Amino acid sequence: MAWRELWNDELIRLRLLLIVMLAALGLLAVNLWRMQVARGALYQHNLGEQSIRRVRTAGARGRILARDGALLADNKPSYQVVLYLEELRQPGRGWTRTLRKVETVLQDISRLLERPSHLTADDIQNHIRARLPLPLVAWRNIDETARARLAERASTWRGVDVVAVPLRTYPAGTLAAHVLGYVSRANPPPDDETAARYYEPDVAGKEGIERRYDDELRGQAGEKVVIVDVSGFRYRQHLPAILERFRPREAVPGRDVILTLDTNVQARVEQALGTQPGAAVVVDPANGDVLAMASAPSFDPNEIAAGLPPELWQALVNDPRQPLLPRALAGQYAPGSTFKPVTALAALESGRSTPEVTYACPGYFMLGRARFNCWENLAGHGVQNLHQALQHSCNVYFFNLGLRCGPEAIHAMAIQFGFGHQTGIDLGREMSGLVPDDAWKRRVQHDGWRDGDTCNMAIGQGALLVTPLQMAMFAAALANGGSVFQPRLVAGVRDPVSGVTRTVPPRLLHTLAVDPARLRVVREGLRAVVNTSTGSGKKAALDNIVVAGKTGTAEHGAKGAGQKWTWMIAFVPYERPRYALAMLVEEGVSGGSTVAPLVHDVLYDLLAKPALLQGEG
Amino acid sequence: MTARWIRPVRRMDWILLLAVLALLVTGVLFIFSASTRSVDLPLYKKQIGWALAGLACFLGLLYADYYRLRDAAWWLYGTSLLLLVLVLVPGIGRKVYGAYRWLSLLGLQFQPSELAKLATIIALARFMSRPGREMNAAGNIGGAVMIVLPPVLLIAAEPDLSTASVLLLTAIVMLYIAGLPMPLLGLATLTGLLAVGLLLGLLFWAPAWLPLSDYQKERILVFLDPGRDPLNHGWNAVQSALAVGSGGLTGKGFLKGTQDVLGYLPRTVAPTDFIFSVIAEEVGFVGSAVLLSLYAVVLSAGLRAAAAARDKLGRLLAAGLTGMLFCHVFINIAMTIGLMPIMGIPLPLMSYGGSFMISTMAALGLAQSVYVRRYT
Repeated sequence: MAWRELWNDELIRLRLLLIVMLAALGLLAVNLWRMQVARGALYQHNLGEQSIRRVRTAGARGRILARDGALLADNKPSYQVVLYLEELRQPGRGWTRTLRKVETVLQDISRLLERPSHLTADDIQNHIRARLPLPLVAWRNIDETARARLAERASTWRGVDVVAVPLRTYPAGTLAAHVLGYVSRANPPPDDETAARYYEPDVAGKEGIERRYDDELRGQAGEKVVIVDVSGFRYRQHLPAILERFRPREAVPGRDVILTLDTNVQARVEQALGTQPGAAVVVDPANGDVLAMASAPSFDPNEIAAGLPPELWQALVNDPRQPLLPRALAGQYAPGSTFKPVTALAALESGRSTPEVTYACPGYFMLGRARFNCWENLAGHGVQNLHQALQHSCNVYFFNLGLRCGPEAIHAMAIQFGFGHQTGIDLGREMSGLVPDDAWKRRVQHDGWRDGDTCNMAIGQGALLVTPLQMAMFAAALANGGSVFQPRLVAGVRDPVSGVTRTVPPRLLHTLAVDPARLRVVREGLRAVVNTSTGSGKKAALDNIVVAGKTGTAEHGAKGAGQKWTWMIAFVPYERPRYALAMLVEEGVSGGSTVAPLVHDVLYDLLAKPALLQGEG
Repeated sequence: MTARWIRPVRRMDWILLLAVLALLVTGVLFIFSASTRSVDLPLYKKQIGWALAGLACFLGLLYADYYRLRDAAWWLYGTSLLLLVLVLVPGIGRKVYGAYRWLSLLGLQFQPSELAKLATIIALARFMSRPGREMNAAGNIGGAVMIVLPPVLLIAAEPDLSTASVLLLTAIVMLYIAGLPMPLLGLATLTGLLAVGLLLGLLFWAPAWLPLSDYQKERILVFLDPGRDPLNHGWNAVQSALAVGSGGLTGKGFLKGTQDVLGYLPRTVAPTDFIFSVIAEEVGFVGSAVLLSLYAVVLSAGLRAAAAARDKLGRLLAAGLTGMLFCHVFINIAMTIGLMPIMGIPLPLMSYGGSFMISTMAALGLAQSVYVRRYT
């Protein structure tokens, strides 16, 4: 009864109603606390996830410098025409109208620039789907005139802009192109590499130092964050409430690579080679530094970095003269007579011959019923000792010498000089050449080693193959008294931020197991090659500076076809060599007549001319 | 003479008025924040106009003796029923988002259901306040139900189930205050729970039998499982929760909310039904709690008026109007924070909208009209 009366009191009922209402508001407050305070961070994170896009940005690519400080690879601004789709957005559901608008704008710009647009409707649609907050690049590398034309219209053209992006350039043009290599647009990074869903196109080294040192040059990608609205368009205003949880990461610029190349030597060597297929390598015999490494014909890495049209790229790749081939380390050739010092040292070290041993050269050599001609096959060289045989490059003497010491001795000496293996230069695509032996011949030609093979190998022919780089290192070892170095192409890597340079020390591989007196005999022979009137390399001689060298002319292709690889190796000055070099011309007449004059020109400019100028001064 | 004019103003609940003004100003500020992207005529300016009109309405009803409504009650009720029928007639009612909720009158758009809510409360108060009409007699209870059902069904037919349920809940509050026996109230509650159970059961096992449109079914399903359809039907619920939750303790700052600026909270609902999300994002928990306190003040003042009323008519009127406002406040905030399914229920004094502003201010004015005519 009492309860019933209690309920019947309207004021009591009102009070109860008030309590219920306030409790309900309290329930809302409790839930708000749970959402906003207890789990606020989670909501803030999720909100960021939907309205933040991370964009990967490439670090500035490191530069490549020569030892003299000359810039060989650098970055310069290149101008692109870009469209901001958010500003071209047309009202309406879907993208059809916006797409049409973009195409109209592209046509207008195309007329103004007098350059066709390469963007297809598919390209634009892909951009809308995958990279909407980023500008759409319509034209790359536009020139000054085009920029001026666009600038006049820029104020009236909504959503169109000209932006500068770094472009890889090679300030020295084609200089050392094969060493530097080139870059082109990198593939998008794999999804799991970074949280960034978008990337800005990056370049990657595809050949040469650009490829080999890509990791150093490339630097570390950074991340910038872009706020997007509900349609996926970039929101340009600053929204600190979202951004404070997503700090962008700065890109780290790549490191500079400092080469051992000397631009002066490199330029001189390239000039001597010209455009005829060939190669040349100049090294410092004291430490194995590569001062010049050239292959001809060459190419312009600037054109490739800027983006060659596909048809021109195909033409370059399919050019029968192979301008992209780095012949200096990837070309394999028979060394011909330039190999004779190996045979000479092998024979002397084997103890089966001495410098005084003589052979008579009638102009040919009979091995059983087979006739091997000396290159001077009309009169013959007459009776020759080792010195004379080197000086005149007498084949008959070396046939005898080879047979006398045997192929194993020649093979072992060639291996000691580094033939048959990669030199280990810090650059891709190096070939190892070939120093054949009995096992190789049985494996590949299914035939045993014969004396004829020994004769061929003794004069640097047959299956023997070397690279111009190997020949230069060979010349260096002869020059420095028997130290075989690993060629050093990269002197150091410099961090542009800290300024710290990590140097790469020269690397001595080993010292030849050769008696210095015997090596001296060979060196003297090489001096006579250049400095006597009957020497085969006399055209390389300089007036006041003693050059030592060896020429070579290797026949290849079908027998009697007259195709010749012409060589010369040299080191200079004879007493304290500063340069050791190897030069090859693929289709020369002979080493002495084709290559020696080129070597002369190079050495004259490098040594004789400065000395002359100094003398005058 | 002067004293007679001053008297109602002096006797009114000033704390209530301050709370109402604070809410109105806050509402205008955040409608400004929520519609900065809008290219239309600035909504906040329109809302200032509606707020002033609402204040005028509030003052007018403050001076009007609510007792006179006793005579006008049936006219008002009849007119609102007529309008509710008219709005359903194609060509007269305006269809917005698939529902006939708007009428055009002298160039002004308004929702008859807003008038109907007030008219039904007045009619019900009059009916139940007649001497001798105790709410324990079957005939009297039946009469009350017969008054409530026609407008509820007509509003549900628009379709506007949310407003219909608000009216139904308001009627139950009034019946409760009028002395409905507790066993019957318990029965009504039980029936309500059973109805919800039946609804959910049908939704899962026999959706085709359920007299709800697809979007209504989706809203309920999305409420039960927010991850169900986040990009379509669940969008508003998910984005509203993100806005509120990311506000944190103190919020992102006025005009610094991102959900609305970036368009994740659709611009059509941000200044109206989801104004609370915009506010909670920018002012955080602290601001939201202040807001809830202001509503607590407004609701307490309403019930205070009911308690102080000189007669039963006044008490039922004030309680009914307060109950209606409470339903709006609770349902709206509960849906923006994911405690209830999304419904088209605006937030009193805050959400953008003319009809609703006028009807809210009229309800407050009417309750104060009861309060200023108390005995003491």
